[in-house]
Amino acid sequence: MGRPKGALEWRGSTLLHRTAALLHRTVGGPVLVVAAPGQELPALPAAVEVVADPVEGLGPMRGLATGLAALDGRAPAAFVCSTDLPFLHPALVRRVLRGFADPDADVVLPVARGYRQPLAAGYRTALAPLIEKLLAEGDLRPGMLFRHCRVTQLDDDTLLADPDLARLDPALDSLVNVNEPDDYAAALARPEPEVVVERFGALASGGQRGPRTVRAASLGAAAAAVGIALDRHVVAAVNGDQMTRDPHLPLVAGDTVAFLSADAGG
Amino acid sequence: MPAGGYFGKALVVDIGDRAATSAPLALADAVLRAYLGGVGLGTWLLHRLAPAGVDPLAPPAPLAFVFSPLVGTPLTTSAKFAVVAKSPLTGLLTDALASSRFAIAGKLTGHDAIVVRGRAAQLSVLLVDGDGARLEAAPELAGLSAAEAEAAVRERFGRGWQTAAIGPAGERRVRYATISHDGRHAGRGGLGAVLGAKNIKAVLVRASTRVAIADQQAVLAAAKDLRERSFGPATAKYRELGTLANLLAFNAVSTLPTRNFTAATFDGAHRLAAEELHELRGVARNSCASCSIGCEHIYSRKGGGQQRMEYENVFALGPLCGVSDPDDVFAASARCDELGLDTISAGGTIAWAMECAERGLIDAPWLRFGDGAALLRALDMIGSREPGLGELLAQGSRRAAATVGGASIDCAPQVKGLELPGYEPRTLQAMALGLAVNARGADHNRSGAYEADLSGEHDRLNGGAAQVVAAVGTEDRAAVMDSMILCKFLRGVFDEPFAEWAALLRPVTGWDVDAAELRATARRIVLAKRVFNQREGATAADDTLPRRMLETPLELGSGRVAALTADRLRAMVAGYYAERGLDQEGRPSREAEAALLLGG
Repeated sequence: MGRPKGALEWRGSTLLHRTAALLHRTVGGPVLVVAAPGQELPALPAAVEVVADPVEGLGPMRGLATGLAALDGRAPAAFVCSTDLPFLHPALVRRVLRGFADPDADVVLPVARGYRQPLAAGYRTALAPLIEKLLAEGDLRPGMLFRHCRVTQLDDDTLLADPDLARLDPALDSLVNVNEPDDYAAALARPEPEVVVERFGALASGGQRGPRTVRAASLGAAAAAVGIALDRHVVAAVNGDQMTRDPHLPLVAGDTVAFLSADAGG
Repeated sequence: MPAGGYFGKALVVDIGDRAATSAPLALADAVLRAYLGGVGLGTWLLHRLAPAGVDPLAPPAPLAFVFSPLVGTPLTTSAKFAVVAKSPLTGLLTDALASSRFAIAGKLTGHDAIVVRGRAAQLSVLLVDGDGARLEAAPELAGLSAAEAEAAVRERFGRGWQTAAIGPAGERRVRYATISHDGRHAGRGGLGAVLGAKNIKAVLVRASTRVAIADQQAVLAAAKDLRERSFGPATAKYRELGTLANLLAFNAVSTLPTRNFTAATFDGAHRLAAEELHELRGVARNSCASCSIGCEHIYSRKGGGQQRMEYENVFALGPLCGVSDPDDVFAASARCDELGLDTISAGGTIAWAMECAERGLIDAPWLRFGDGAALLRALDMIGSREPGLGELLAQGSRRAAATVGGASIDCAPQVKGLELPGYEPRTLQAMALGLAVNARGADHNRSGAYEADLSGEHDRLNGGAAQVVAAVGTEDRAAVMDSMILCKFLRGVFDEPFAEWAALLRPVTGWDVDAAELRATARRIVLAKRVFNQREGATAADDTLPRRMLETPLELGSGRVAALTADRLRAMVAGYYAERGLDQEGRPSREAEAALLLGG
């Protein structure tokens, strides 16, 4: 691509910001970005933490070990992904993480769209020492890790048996990555996702009541689509979850955005 | 010479069998400056005048009507008064605000507060003006609603008097009875029962004097500026739809307590929404005296009549009881007004009883979630203290659960005995802390920590250190607003609240008060309430939430789960104690307590 993929512009922010913010709105626990030594990163959501790899050039296994070790004691398992998944959907993340309901699963690995997807998969954080050992022995490929632990594979049919995923990401576009400039251009050319926007209270006066469907890849775009300024008097919630007025919060197909008055007194 | 806006004295009225005597209690400038008025000064008065351990319904228990330096000025929303007493519901300090002309007339009797003690031999009214206090027997008022009693005393004593009255629930000492003036209630904590226990149906006040203001021109200029700002976007919600605008929004963000806190969304919410009712039933908008916001929205009732509806009464008598028919909720709200019942405690207690009945813990098979007729029947039983269920529920959910036993206390929606308002603690975890530690009990007016939860600046599902700071901050701001007094619906217009409030107080009082002093005042008031409660037996064990909130997570529409564990709440409470300079048991140091000026 000629430059770090994480820094590629994406709907007003960057691919890295979009990925990190999407994971932050999806999971209850910490979100970590693993950076190469000295790597400059584009802006990230405030709650996202950054840890640096101790050495450069050892590939994704090195980052995996660093990230899982940093989560030791804070989360039993993690969804791990690359930064170049512009259509990653929370429904896929949740489906993968549900694989850890099986206490015997060390790795929950999608095998979909014709490939194994080790960079859109779930890993037990307790695997960090094993990965360090493999790295020390010169095994830098994820496939080596899978030989030493219990892997639950999720093929296309298994993934799409999840009704939420089947409804919200039926083509499993969550696993589409951008490796070449043409991939990136094609991704950008896709229409923004359809989301439902609803205004409440004083924001709904003047005949603005009721849900509206708009195309918007971010909260800012959704607000603009319905003529709302995200100032201090307005907050929003996506799917009834966290309150925010972050215009860069990524939206995905099936989201419902509520805009309401910031003053909740009464 | 007292500071501007003050008379420098309270009137302490002792009611005997057939007569009342009164005497002034001097209020030193240092005390007024330390506690301002309203809730703050009321707390100081309770420390001074309430015997330790007093039964709130016994004659020696004082009930204070407290005014403030801003009352009577042209500053918008300042026509408010506090009523402060030891609560028969919680056994701790309670303070409630109401508004309008009673505040102005009461202050212009020439007193910064009127404190009532004793008990009359028969149902009476108390009249206070510049000549002091007098008692008049009024047995003919028995059983009247507060509004009817106000009309009757106006007929009997003339239009020059402003009246605060109780309904039948107060006469019967229902532990969450209200005191009301002109349809607005000092609602929380059972103040109506305290007045009823004194055999006082109504307190009448008549303006007899003027109060000096330090710099009249500066006050007029400040009032003009504040009035203009009160028309801005920060108050649009209140003007356009009123507090009921919360209902549909809270439902959308999973924080609308439903069916006794077993859910945080309600499938019938749209039927009760302000947006819907405004179009179909809205008939008028009203405001308190001296208010430019006008938050009160009046709706027509099927079959005739009108009803003022607020978020809290609709939440408590609607979703919390599973009732979605607006006419049922209108009727229940009207019934609470007639009886003089706090709608939050009434709804919370009945919702708890509905759950107990459905689980077989209470023998009332007719009492079911969603049944509007059952809701009305239960309210009538409470108002009349009907033997059995009415008597049980008139005690509030905590006492009732103690009688019913079993695990019923775990789902009693109360903190310190006060029923929870319409803010789900599991999805608003700064508010969870505010509800747990507040002196009044589960309360949204003395702790507005939901502001932080809904601001978008904090993780509302994961309470921690940031939520502690936010909860302390909103509690402090409320302490000053409730003591100055200004309506909290104005709070969004202030960018630097303590500095701007000091700028309002300076021309009224003549004091050189600044933001730092008001911050210290806030902390003093909060601490003084806590010290009063500890004197009355409160401990750190009271700073918690019902077990249901701590053991049963809620699933959100997003797929995430909202869980508030006992450990997380304990950690936040410990952080709150540290932030307030309290020890691990929530107690202040001797030095801090001595600095409260509680001795005078």
